[in-house]
Amino acid sequence: MTTSASAPAAAPSTTAVAARTKGLRKEYGSTVAVDRVDLELPEGAVLGMLGPNGSGKTTTIRMLLGLVRPTQGEIELLGTPLPDGAEQALPHVGALVEGPGFHPFLSGRENLVRCAAFEPLLPKKQIKQAVEDALERVGLAQAAHRRFRGYSLGMKQRLGLAAALLVPRKLVVLDEPTNGLDPAGTREIRKIIAELHEQGSTVLVSSHLLSEVEATCTHVAVLHRGTVVAQGELTELLQAGGSALHVITPDVETALSALRQAKISARPLGDGLRVELAGTSAPQVIETLVKAGAGVYEATRWKTGLEELFARLTEAEEAERGMSAVDTLDGGAR
Amino acid sequence: MITRQLGSEVRWMLRRPRTLIGLFGLVLVPIVISFGIWTADGDGGGPGIAAILRGNGMVVPIFTLFLSLNLLLPLVASIWAADGLAGEAQHGTLRGLLVAPVSRVRLLFVKLFGLTAMSLFAVTLMAVVGIIAGTAFLGNDGMMTLSGTTLTTAEGLLRIAFFVVLVTFQMVAVGAVALAVSATTEHPLVVQAATMTSIIVFQVLGQFSSLDWLHPFLITTGFPGLVDVMRDPIPFDQISDSTLLAGCYLLIGTGLAAIRLVTKDS
Repeated sequence: MTTSASAPAAAPSTTAVAARTKGLRKEYGSTVAVDRVDLELPEGAVLGMLGPNGSGKTTTIRMLLGLVRPTQGEIELLGTPLPDGAEQALPHVGALVEGPGFHPFLSGRENLVRCAAFEPLLPKKQIKQAVEDALERVGLAQAAHRRFRGYSLGMKQRLGLAAALLVPRKLVVLDEPTNGLDPAGTREIRKIIAELHEQGSTVLVSSHLLSEVEATCTHVAVLHRGTVVAQGELTELLQAGGSALHVITPDVETALSALRQAKISARPLGDGLRVELAGTSAPQVIETLVKAGAGVYEATRWKTGLEELFARLTEAEEAERGMSAVDTLDGGAR
Repeated sequence: MITRQLGSEVRWMLRRPRTLIGLFGLVLVPIVISFGIWTADGDGGGPGIAAILRGNGMVVPIFTLFLSLNLLLPLVASIWAADGLAGEAQHGTLRGLLVAPVSRVRLLFVKLFGLTAMSLFAVTLMAVVGIIAGTAFLGNDGMMTLSGTTLTTAEGLLRIAFFVVLVTFQMVAVGAVALAVSATTEHPLVVQAATMTSIIVFQVLGQFSSLDWLHPFLITTGFPGLVDVMRDPIPFDQISDSTLLAGCYLLIGTGLAAIRLVTKDS
């Protein structure tokens, strides 16, 4: 699954990035909400922004949309620097930030019409059609005449998504889009994200639900305590660092001592060993084992789940919650 | 683009239940006044403009607006200003507008336009209902002025139109200052409380002659002078003073709102 056209960070790309931040910092009074955030959102990617509550996801998104002024740092959105280029870039950006905001006394349709009136890219004649299309797309056509006040949380979320999709967008930013949705609704959101991806739009999804990100994203950025602790292609991130080999062997003792001599870290696990692949490779491990006379029945690549990666990256907080991270590590193997 | 934004703003304001209730309340004022004068048969009481109300239906709109300007119209203006920025921020709709994007300066212009259009509408509505109710209850035999002369109906209507413009301007000036408060908070009630408290405090301060150095700076000081439109011929000095004062409030309010809005995190 690894695409060869990767490593966008190294390339001196000018057009291949939909959004980029450099050294972003935001202080609210004496608290630092976000610090040293260097984010890169490749064009056409679906970037999952992951982090526990309060890790700075929403603040970063709000700065990216020009809603909040960074205390420090630079932002580039669709090729223009913010905040000066906001009027140029933002028409191409659809956003659902911090939950859907609408007027309770207007119906869903009326709310969208009001949003549409302020969309620079939408000619007046097309407003009606665009609103109906957006309602249809998020499955709200039946409830469009009802007042927003009476909407369920899921319906409100859908309306927010509809507002973000009123115009074909180059970039769609969705902050916790599946909040309050039932499983069917969540699947629909994923479908919409996949559609946007197919059409070539760039998507930025923030979430604290790991499965959601793993299912829909091509890229991941992990935020923790206001900084980006990891980012890159999802497949690469999952392979990097955390990969290990699960070796099934009856001669655990022999294998362990051989590996130890070869300075390869390993520990017994179940009916075999778990061998860390840091600084070594799978063939080397197996060669070492075979030379030492340990029978290898089976060797499987231990793919790191996003959950494990996330746990490792945000370790400090996970430690407080006891063993839950370790449990998923063992349970989620293979 | 701008016209459709302005149109959307006015439609949005007109759709609000509280706007409709407010307008209904405003319309009741001239009706109640006309009815009250009509039933208070006989002594025709009161000083100044109230004294010439009897048998003089054309004065009802002027008297209504004159009364309402002290409390009711500033209240309505403050509600609109409060909903315009603080209310939108509270509902999270301000973010949507800013991301659309609407530049912050233009957004303020849209809000100020909405406030002005709705103020003009409300004041005109009160005047029209005042003319109708006044004519129905008290009769219409031209317009008697405070100077004792009588104007023709056409001239009277012109005076009423002029008064409508003057009162609207005062209302917008109050609203602009309220907008400045509105840009600083997410709580519409704070805006209304701040505005109404100021108006009342200003009126109280206006009562103390020891503070007469302060009076030229209080917008409320200018309210009574507007009634000069009912004199014949119209003496313009007080009217122009009041309007100039309101203009200062409008400029300062808009300026503060713009400064706050441009640097605001939302």
